[in-house]
Amino acid sequence: MTNKKKLWSIFGPVIVAALLAFIFFCLPWSGRHSAATEQRAAVSLSPTVFKNRSLKVQALSGRHSKYVPFFGSSEFNRMDRYHPAVMAERYHSYRPFMFGSRGTQSLPQLFNMAMMPQQMQGKKAVYVISPQWFVKRGVMPSAFKYYNGAYANLMWLRQANPQSAYDRYTAKRLIQLLGDDGSISSYANKISKGQSLSKWDRWVINSKITLLHHEDNLFSGFFIKDNYDRRIKPKARLLPEQLNYADLTAAAIKQHDRASSNNNFGVLNSFYNRRMRGHIKSTANSQKHFDYTKSPEYGDLEVVLNQFHKTNTNVIFMITPVNAKWEKHTGMSMPMYYRTVRKIKTQLRSQGFNNIVDYSHKGNQDGFMQDTIHIGWAGWVDFDRQTAPFLEQSQPKPKYHMNDAFLSKEWLNLNPTKANLKQFKSNHQIK
Amino acid sequence: MINWFASLPNFSAYGTPSYFIYLLIALVPMGIGLYFGKRFEWYEALISFIFIFFMFDGQNYKQAASLIVYIIYQTCLVMWYFHYRQKQNNSMVFYITVFLSLLPIIIVKFTPAMVGHNSLLGFLGISYLTFRAAGTIIETRDGAVKDLNWWKFVRFMAFMPTITSGPIDRYRRFSKDYKKVPSREKYLSLLQKAVLYLFIGFVYKFVVDYFFAQQWLPYFQRQAMAHAPHLSWWVVGVAYVYTGDLYFDFAGYSLFAVAISYIMGVETPMNFNKPFLSKNIKEFWNRWHMSLSFWFRDYIFMRFVFLATKKRWFKNRNVLSSIAYMLNMVVMGFWHGVTWYYILYGFLHGLALVINDWWLRYKRKHYKNLKSTKLTKFIAGFITFNFVVFGFLIFCGFLNTLWFSPAAMK
Repeated sequence: MTNKKKLWSIFGPVIVAALLAFIFFCLPWSGRHSAATEQRAAVSLSPTVFKNRSLKVQALSGRHSKYVPFFGSSEFNRMDRYHPAVMAERYHSYRPFMFGSRGTQSLPQLFNMAMMPQQMQGKKAVYVISPQWFVKRGVMPSAFKYYNGAYANLMWLRQANPQSAYDRYTAKRLIQLLGDDGSISSYANKISKGQSLSKWDRWVINSKITLLHHEDNLFSGFFIKDNYDRRIKPKARLLPEQLNYADLTAAAIKQHDRASSNNNFGVLNSFYNRRMRGHIKSTANSQKHFDYTKSPEYGDLEVVLNQFHKTNTNVIFMITPVNAKWEKHTGMSMPMYYRTVRKIKTQLRSQGFNNIVDYSHKGNQDGFMQDTIHIGWAGWVDFDRQTAPFLEQSQPKPKYHMNDAFLSKEWLNLNPTKANLKQFKSNHQIK
Repeated sequence: MINWFASLPNFSAYGTPSYFIYLLIALVPMGIGLYFGKRFEWYEALISFIFIFFMFDGQNYKQAASLIVYIIYQTCLVMWYFHYRQKQNNSMVFYITVFLSLLPIIIVKFTPAMVGHNSLLGFLGISYLTFRAAGTIIETRDGAVKDLNWWKFVRFMAFMPTITSGPIDRYRRFSKDYKKVPSREKYLSLLQKAVLYLFIGFVYKFVVDYFFAQQWLPYFQRQAMAHAPHLSWWVVGVAYVYTGDLYFDFAGYSLFAVAISYIMGVETPMNFNKPFLSKNIKEFWNRWHMSLSFWFRDYIFMRFVFLATKKRWFKNRNVLSSIAYMLNMVVMGFWHGVTWYYILYGFLHGLALVINDWWLRYKRKHYKNLKSTKLTKFIAGFITFNFVVFGFLIFCGFLNTLWFSPAAMK
């Protein structure tokens, strides 16, 4: 073999393969998904759906889409027969498209939303806030990375405005959570310093988005967890034909008592066996020091609110309860919990987010909780009673008025006593 | 200036597939030069500088300063010793020089255990550079290093493909490659291997290791932590999955380093040779992280054996080799870091080598007729593999988290 031929035999296959792969990803693959795939995606709660675009965008596009985005976290995985998706299947005209698993706190949700602003424009949404998110350090970097991807980051960066305090805050958080390795962080660094991205940066970002878009179209439809056929559809048949919330609540409480018979906490038997049995002694008074009142999560929530403001989305919020018996056992301070909720609600109300379902005092109600911190049964029934009318009937247009004082260190670290909240509001001319 | 430096993007070596695109494009002129029998030294230095720069810039700028100071320090030390050795050969001077060469890494490794935070002297890859410098001093004493040139030594220390995590080359071998340009035939065969190694590396690091590191390991760790501080079967899973992660990550990385070296016309030694097919623990160390274990073999194990034989410290040869094994592996444990799990890991592997030797002697004496069959080979490989996995469970520090600091995972 001559040397030229040898060179070709070494590099030829690589060059051809690289070209083919490049062409493959440059082709404008269609990303149409079947209705069944969308149905599965809506309740799969999987990171693939969360991190990519084609599935959610198709489901939520159009004026008459029946899907409504539900943003939240691990409670969506509590799929008993009163779960919002089951209830909607049986009784309502809309279908929840659920974004939420353990760790999808406000900041991951922001990047999720930043991929579909057109789809959320002027529409409705549900946002479930867990006070447990508001820990001292905020969302864990590992959890954030698990639900975050280059696609969402690049889409966010492309529209980020370095003049906006909100976007500078988000960029800073992005660097904190991802580390400063790689190009995403260097773009975010520019935004955080108030500098615009260069033309070249934009060109690179756009071409990367194009490739990721094609990749998303090609692969997102595969391997979606089939919660719909396994855990949603079969349960819809168990519900009575006529919707009567009082009857459902009574039935839910009965089922709750039966399903939580092996413990004194009112926790689902299987959950108790798997997670709590044998740890009762060691968990006593273990949460005495828990404090949710100071956290970067308040700032993260603020950028989400700003996103709702930008897309003019009409949102109903739910604030989750904790299992009262369990908290008594672990010694978590309920006054602290209520102060946390007060701080969250102050942030919501004073900026015009007035649709709030506050369950923080419901943790001792019969059948309301499925385990230690997640609602289920009667809790889900009540959730449906509160949210379904909001989603099905037409609502007055929301009027949001944002105030970036809620991004300040002062707010994140504010101890939410009544006096402090009042002082903060008057300092920053907040109504 | 520091602000500007800290704000630049950081690209760790071989971190993402796109890294290879930049790196390979940068190497094209060098490759063409080598193909036509020319080594563009200045171009190679420039490219190496740029890529090392991007490994240590951004928030790592303190490390960059440490790296520069460290290389200057070691170069002065090695050059001084080389000049000294031309005239004299006092063993005390030699020991002090080696000690001074090891001093930075000793400080770096002991600092976390003593004061609870990482030393400011440290930087990514300090251990590997220490091996290169200390090895050169030892070979200088032996008289094996005949010519030492400061520029070549700096290029050897800061050889871009292997700077952060090896494989650990030897100065003599490196400078021989570096002096000459491979023939065209030879260079083509290096390129052919380089392409193959790069693609195996891609499969290891970006495909297989994705499952081990991103999917399975966090899952098993989470499950195991749910039972903390108690042991559960999940911990066994952590051990196997961690072993897979470590191998595919590190072997993938090493393949990249070797392949890029080949493209630069330097035959950096291989680091792994199907380690999990080993039939005893000694064989394992001849196949796993080879450049490291050979370094330890040549400069710690053999030196100790020679010294002890010369001074007649031990009467029994078997006792001597056992002590040498233990010393060798415990030092290796300390090298990884001063924590109970690294030291225990070294101790266990030392013990395993001793037992392995003892077993081979015992077998020779009592089971003369035992034939080597497929079955015995399988049993030997099975035991070796599982011992290795157990060793890595200790090594990975997960037990430390499980037992002593469960909050770190939650």
